Amino acid sequence: METVKLSNVTKSFKDVVAVDNVSFSMQSGKIFGILGPNGAGKTTTIRMIAGVFLPDSGEIRVFGEPDIEKVQSKIGYLPEERGLYKRMKVIDQLIFFAELKGLPNTTARANALKWLSLLDAKDWENKKVHELSKGMQQKIQFISVLLHDPDLLILDEPFSGFDPINVEVFKNVLLDLKSAGKTILLSTHIMEQAEQLCDDVCLINKGKVVLYGSLSDIKASREKDTVICEYNSDGANSIELRNVKILNQTQNRIEFRFDRNNFNLKEFIKEIADKVEIKKIEISTPGLREIFIDEVTKVKL
Amino acid sequence: MKFDSKFWIIAKRDYLSVVKSKGFWIGTFLIPVIWLLVVTLPGFLMVYFWERTEMKVAVLDKTNSSIGKEIVKADSNVFYLDNSNERELNAKILNDELDAYLLIDSQSIKNNSVTVHTKGGGGIALIEKVENVVGKVFRKHLLAESGLDTSLIRQIETETKVNTKKVTREGIKTDYSSFYSFFSYFAGVALFMLIFIYGGLVMRGVVEEKANRIVEILLSSTKPFDIMLGKVIGLGSVGLTQIFAWIVLLLAISLISTQIISLLTQPEPIAQSFVNEFNINSQVPKQFEIPPIPAEFVLMFIIYFLLGYFLVASIYAGLGSTVDHEQDAQIIITPINIIFILPVFLINIISANPNSLLSTLLSLFPPFTPVLMIARLGSSTIPLWQPLLSILLMLLFIFIILKFSAKIYRVAILIYGKKPSFKEIYHWLRKA
Repeated sequence: METVKLSNVTKSFKDVVAVDNVSFSMQSGKIFGILGPNGAGKTTTIRMIAGVFLPDSGEIRVFGEPDIEKVQSKIGYLPEERGLYKRMKVIDQLIFFAELKGLPNTTARANALKWLSLLDAKDWENKKVHELSKGMQQKIQFISVLLHDPDLLILDEPFSGFDPINVEVFKNVLLDLKSAGKTILLSTHIMEQAEQLCDDVCLINKGKVVLYGSLSDIKASREKDTVICEYNSDGANSIELRNVKILNQTQNRIEFRFDRNNFNLKEFIKEIADKVEIKKIEISTPGLREIFIDEVTKVKL
Repeated sequence: MKFDSKFWIIAKRDYLSVVKSKGFWIGTFLIPVIWLLVVTLPGFLMVYFWERTEMKVAVLDKTNSSIGKEIVKADSNVFYLDNSNERELNAKILNDELDAYLLIDSQSIKNNSVTVHTKGGGGIALIEKVENVVGKVFRKHLLAESGLDTSLIRQIETETKVNTKKVTREGIKTDYSSFYSFFSYFAGVALFMLIFIYGGLVMRGVVEEKANRIVEILLSSTKPFDIMLGKVIGLGSVGLTQIFAWIVLLLAISLISTQIISLLTQPEPIAQSFVNEFNINSQVPKQFEIPPIPAEFVLMFIIYFLLGYFLVASIYAGLGSTVDHEQDAQIIITPINIIFILPVFLINIISANPNSLLSTLLSLFPPFTPVLMIARLGSSTIPLWQPLLSILLMLLFIFIILKFSAKIYRVAILIYGKKPSFKEIYHWLRKA
């Protein structure tokens, strides 16, 4: 079932076309990633799906409903720029946001307390927001999205501002929600995060969709032109490569892409085996980041 | 309107966020005290220091009459007789031995004029003093010369007292006209300030939500109009709470005030000197009484507060949404404020003549209505249709403004980083 469906959606601000004829749909129970560089139109797309503003043209249906206002209580939205009332108590704030989503006061309070203790934030209940650190505020904001148990979560750059430990905590929260059947839309410009979490992705650049589909399909359609090789080296026999695009090179690891026309993989393996002791060699499709760069540069040409 | 609809939730949050704070209650009790000081202190100081001069003034009497002596007798703290000549007195002034001298010659009484010599800049108080004392002596002198009886002269010297009575269906009643015209001024200014304090809160709230990006979460939960209306209603309720707190406070004070007032009316040095100096003994009532403030007036005050507040708050909410900093907001609302502050300067004209055509028309112009209608209601009895019509006109005006503001708010609330021009705002109005 399609939880979200965009058809030919366009939105401009003054003379800048922020979102240009975008169409895609999101399957329920999956994690969908909107990817793209800064200023690509991710946030504008997301805001329209969250019902923050309307598209100039085209149609957005959420849960099959073209009037998003009617389904807003089933959506949890985490904006890119986080915002809380500075002088309000954490618990009051959480209840307020949940009440706005239609939860009765008592349920809102119970859910807020449940999530606070679940995420090790029980002590902050009666603190005012300005007394909390930035990371703590992020956590509160994240909780505020979950309180009304939304079927669709819309998260704009959800991990920005979190330390690595909390990134892991919230990744697990998202995976749990997914197994509970929730649909999750997230935007990020960090491709590695998307690769770990997303089932489907949509790459946006300059307001246009450049690539869209399930992550596994996208990867399967690519040539296996990426080599990751790990080895033991004393540093004396450094590896020199010609006619390849090196993605990453450290003392004991190299990652590169090659072009079959002017690169002989077998030769390379033979050569490298003479020089160093190979621990692992992997020939695979390129990562999402590489795919994205390919697509964007292709558009430019 | 269901009670659980979104804008009630927003209104409740905004209401509680202010009413729960200590600052609100401290303010509620301190504002009347400060307000009373601000209103009464300058007047009080004026009365006390007016005509009070520390200068010594020599009186040089060239008339061979008793005028010089009478002047000194009228206020020997300031005036004394000096028989030196003008040159010597000039020298004394130059040497700082003397502040001023008064020259009275045969022409003085005839021309009713007198000359004061100082080193320059004797100050208003000195001139007032001389004018008052010398004038009185001259008048008395002239009247005495005409052969009038001294008791008659004394009668002429006192000011005429005007007693005002109002005719009602229940009979003739005391009319506290002068009290009420002061009161209406007080009420008009208080209303203006309340409207702007609470209107300002709305604007600050809108800008805060925009700057903190909270508005995006609100927008993902409800309509822009609900957010705006919720804020206006929530903070307006805070204003009502404060007014009710003041009414309770006022009732409590008036219950215990009888004793305090009897204490206040005991002759005390300052009040006594006030009475002496102005020779207005006859004007001070024996029994000091506060005339009743009718309940209808309090009701109208509340109604006009709500209407004025709604008008100002909807304008402020719309304009507040176009900026991301409070400082920018202050700039953009200035032209609006000028329109709304005008009636405060008109109160005096209006309450001097509350039932003139000009007063009626001005008080029916919606931006002027709250302050001017309340000033008119305070100082006079006006036909019922006028307040009713003014309420109707205001409701209509508020409806139009609210519609415009909501349009601006909807577009502007998510636009960051640049101050909009009025041209742009106009464009949004057209587009929306």
